[in-house]
Amino acid sequence: MRSSFRKAYLLLSPSLFWLTLFLVIPVLFIAVISFTTNGDFGRIIYEFSTDAYSSAFSSLYAKVIWQSIWWALLATIVCLVIAYPFAYFIANAGKWKNILLLLVMVPFWTNLLIRLYAWIILLNNQGVVNNFLIKLGFIDEPLALMYSPGGVILGLVYGFLPFMILPIYSSIEQLDKTYLEASEDLGAGPVRTFLSITLPLTFPGILAGFIITFVPAISVFVVTDLFTGGKLLMVGNVIRDAFLVEMNWQLGAALSLLLMILVLLSLMIFMRFTSRKDRKLLI
Amino acid sequence: MSVQMVRLENVIKEFDDSIVVDNLSLDIRAGEFLTLLGPSGCGKTTTLRMIAGFEKPTTGKILLNGKQVDDMEPYKREVNTVFQSYSLFPHMTVFDNVAFGLKMKKVGKEEIKERVTKALKLVQLEEYGNRKPKQLSGGQQQRIAIARAIVNNPKVLLLDEPLGALDLKLRKQMQLELKHLQQTLNITFIYVTHDQEEALTMSDRIVVMNKGKIEQIGQPVEIYERPQTRFVADFIGQTNIIEGTVSEINGDLATMEFAGQTIQIPNANHVELNEEVFISVRPEKMKVSRTPFEGAINLKGTFKEKIYVGSVTKIVVTMPNGKNLTINESHDKIEDLTDTSDELFVSWKPIHSVVLKK
Repeated sequence: MRSSFRKAYLLLSPSLFWLTLFLVIPVLFIAVISFTTNGDFGRIIYEFSTDAYSSAFSSLYAKVIWQSIWWALLATIVCLVIAYPFAYFIANAGKWKNILLLLVMVPFWTNLLIRLYAWIILLNNQGVVNNFLIKLGFIDEPLALMYSPGGVILGLVYGFLPFMILPIYSSIEQLDKTYLEASEDLGAGPVRTFLSITLPLTFPGILAGFIITFVPAISVFVVTDLFTGGKLLMVGNVIRDAFLVEMNWQLGAALSLLLMILVLLSLMIFMRFTSRKDRKLLI
Repeated sequence: MSVQMVRLENVIKEFDDSIVVDNLSLDIRAGEFLTLLGPSGCGKTTTLRMIAGFEKPTTGKILLNGKQVDDMEPYKREVNTVFQSYSLFPHMTVFDNVAFGLKMKKVGKEEIKERVTKALKLVQLEEYGNRKPKQLSGGQQQRIAIARAIVNNPKVLLLDEPLGALDLKLRKQMQLELKHLQQTLNITFIYVTHDQEEALTMSDRIVVMNKGKIEQIGQPVEIYERPQTRFVADFIGQTNIIEGTVSEINGDLATMEFAGQTIQIPNANHVELNEEVFISVRPEKMKVSRTPFEGAINLKGTFKEKIYVGSVTKIVVTMPNGKNLTINESHDKIEDLTDTSDELFVSWKPIHSVVLKK
């Protein structure tokens, strides 16, 4: 028994080493820095201090954190509303299934930054969409498609929609179709069957999609940067600025840790409501 | 004449150019236990799925209680299905599974409770209402699947190899339980299986199917004792198929030449002189002995081997043309049949020769 444990650890040692070096140590490093004192020009003074946390919880930063949670949440919900029917359609598309899945994946092959620049051409005040709508006479003034919370959410939805589609698709795909036949057999029409059988049985996919969309959406900073020119902020912008502009590593580290705790909490919620089998949908 | 509950008229079902059900016509009576029996791929499950509504016939008509239903959606048909994999909803309790159909019909809460309890009692699982299907054994899940279907008082209950996943002993027990349940409820059962013994045990009538067509319809005893085709004789139980040429016709009897010997056969199928015919003789209808029997068919052959199979011993006798015949004998009869060079007579009564259609 003991020797088999030792063998298991031996086999795991390369990955344990990797994780320790590139995950555990950096996180500990961040944690330590968050409790140090900020010196002149960003010098780290190794004296215990909770200043970083007091400013992180100050109204200014708390507002940004709440705003980030709110926008990421909204974007995730919009993703869900779009992704579910889309995933359902792909899962039932027969021979077109693989081609449609490929189309979902294609954007991943281009950097998000470049794709967001492309959207700017479409969305800015002199952009394709506004010009088109004005020419057709639907609007007189250009719509504020960018430089607005709506624009941020649009960017987030665009960036992370595939993350929502894929786990939902996979849960619909794995659903045993005889459950649907059984439901119909017992007198449930298509709508009832969807609400009573399909939706609850694909809930793990929804939850998985929710997590892996929400987690990157809350921490991303390129969307706010490019779509609002830095006018609107998410917590990712604040962290980056703390490290690189204000030279306040303590604040950046504290905010990073808080964000990490938030992500861990949402993962715990996911674990609470899913079985071991369902968790595979996350990967 | 009893009432027709289900009627299939010239039903054809094609999948991607292959014909799965080929011009099938069938009348199923109210209150009958009818089994569709055949090897896998014979179209029996497709036929059942067309009655349930999961498949639409390519051409032909399906009538349910006199009403044409072949374009009707499954959820509007007054039939219920017991699925091969049970398909109990994993996220619902046993009670909610059984109540599902009644809820869809907007039956009142009190009545649902009453009927579900009654159905669970009928399958002897009334204490399991709060469990999830996963917490039940295969046999228990099977019973819940049956309860979930019959609680709706369907006109017809469709069963798609429902006992396939159970072990032999439980399967035998469930066969009888299902049969009794059907008699108690007086619902029409349409049962699909590839297990001929199961079909013989449970059915009022058996429809033997092969390659999308009906080979024979009849009561179990007819199917077993008087198979009409070579396929049926071969598929149901064990049999000896003997091929020969008709050499004489004499009214109700004919004579057939086989391996230099003669066999009297009944002339019910009106054979012709010099016609090649096949007959089927069940192993348990044959006897072996060292001397021929009076008034019986006696074929001379040599002892090849004996195989003990528990209830009987199978004796294999080789005919002069090399063909092997298998005979079931009781153990005490064969004590002295051990010498392989023994010359033996295989005997049976002419009425036990069943002439098969080609």
